[in-house]
This record gives sequence, structure tokens and C-alpha cells, in this order.
Amino acid sequence: MRRPRNGGGHKPLPWRRLGTGLNRHPACNRGGTMRYIQFTQPSARTFAPARVGGRLGAGIEDEIGYLFGTALSAFAGTGRGQFPVDLSQDKDNTYVRAELPGVARDAIGVEIVDGSLSIKATRKDNRGETEDTVDFSRLVSLPDDVQSDKVSAAYENGILTVTLPRREESKPRKVTVQVS
Amino acid sequence: MSFINSLLPTRNGHDEPPAASRPRHEVTETDDAFLLTVSLPGVSREGLEITDEGGQLTIRGKRAAAVPQGQNVVYRETGDSPFELAFVHDGSVDAGKIGAELRDGLLRLSLPKAESAKPRKIAVG
Repeated sequence: MRRPRNGGGHKPLPWRRLGTGLNRHPACNRGGTMRYIQFTQPSARTFAPARVGGRLGAGIEDEIGYLFGTALSAFAGTGRGQFPVDLSQDKDNTYVRAELPGVARDAIGVEIVDGSLSIKATRKDNRGETEDTVDFSRLVSLPDDVQSDKVSAAYENGILTVTLPRREESKPRKVTVQVS
Repeated sequence: MSFINSLLPTRNGHDEPPAASRPRHEVTETDDAFLLTVSLPGVSREGLEITDEGGQLTIRGKRAAAVPQGQNVVYRETGDSPFELAFVHDGSVDAGKIGAELRDGLLRLSLPKAESAKPRKIAVG
């Protein structure tokens, strides 16, 4: 399990914004790895045997390692304002998929600029009385064969899929050569 | 803080490899309820399962395959593993009144506090 000591160079994750009303454990000051437990307030009860599958004496480090490990694997390489993307192809199109949960459709902007796909989005987090806005932005380099005038996009279950048709000449052609 | 203490992430099946991944989530608290926001990109209503049993709230979400059959993956950052998140609330939440809304891959749960867990004002006579 990965357990970077210094936060692995990642930017602070969005939960940092949770500050109001939630106390942080003092251990949170040790590097960036403790943020995930800021609302768990470890106590004797937290690590009671019944709660950790019978692991008596399981240290807080184990729990943190677990928390951090899974959080990282679920969201590798992205900090605040970033989001994970996939790139795939079939013979007709190139597809870019982006995980952007909870964003209004009219707050998503997709553009092609100089052979790159620019995805911008704004998410409004409503927490009772307060509202927080998070801006997301990412530039994805595209293959040369994209027909940039025929791009389409769809948003479903928090996933944006951009479909970029490939130019005819770049599609694989099957040529049968007669061997005499 | 008593409330926060009671909303603890727990882990099931420690010895098994983590087949599920922990989704990004946020907990906020008001006087009457806890609000839990969970990012579940790619999870539809059918793939979502929320249970509250014995003081443990568990959220499981299965994602649709990110890359459909017939496409070649060029570059991949997202995962396919299901999401799983569990909290212990020790009866501080009124389990019968938990409300859930899933929209655009974002789950919003409202967990009304049990009467006994609400802050009480004591008037000084």
C-alpha cells in the first residue's frame, strides 16, 4: 500500500475546506497525510476492537495508511481543480472521458484550442447557508487526426464524454494484395 | 464534537485486499442533521446501494464500465472498482429519516439527528 510521508507532492485535497465546525486532530499537522481523518477525531471509541474487525491494538497509523491509500488510488494525480480523464479510440472516433460529478451542464465548457481539448467546469457546493464554488480546468492533448469541427459531448452520471471523429484518411484501410 | 466522534469511517474485512475504493466525500453538520456529500462518478441509481444497519451506514456504488467494449484505451486515469464508504453513527442519527438524492454522479445524504443528539438549550431561570 502506498503511504507517502509528505503527502506525495499532491495539492491539498478539497476536504481541507471543511474547516468550519469540524475539529482537526492534532496529528493533522504532520505533513499532508492526515487530512483524511480530520473529521474522525480518533478516540478510544474510534479504535474499539468491534470497529476494526477485531484488530486489537491496531494503531492509528494503520488506519491512516488505509485511508490515504484508498483515497489515493481512487483519485491519483489530481488535486483541487483537477479531475481524472481517460482517452480511448475506436476506428471512427477518439473519446475523452472526464469525471466531473455534480456539475451543472451549463457550467461545462468544452473547446478545442491549438490541437488540445480544453475542459472547464464550475461546481457550486451548497452547504446550507454557505455556497462554495470550485473551478475545474484541464487541457488534454489530442491526436492529429481529430476533425475538430464535428466534436460532440454528453454528460451522464457525472461523467463527461467528448466524442472527436477521426479524419477519413487516418482510419485504417484494409488493402488486400494479391500475391501471384 | 460528540457527533463527529460518532460519524466514523469504518472498514470492513480488513484482511481482504481493498477491492472497493473510497469515494471523495464531505460531511457537514447543522443543528438538526449531518449532510454527507459523496462523489460517485459513473454510478447510476441502479448501481447504488445504501444500507443502515446496527448503527453503521454503508454506501456502495457500482460504476458502469468507463471504457466501452470495442474501444482501445490510449490513456487511463479513472478506475473501474466499485465505491464503498461506511460510517458508524452509534444511534445519533435517526435512521428512519435518512434522505438520499443522486444527481449527476453526486450523492447527497441528509442524516437527521436523533432527538437525543440535538443540542439543547437550557434556560437559566
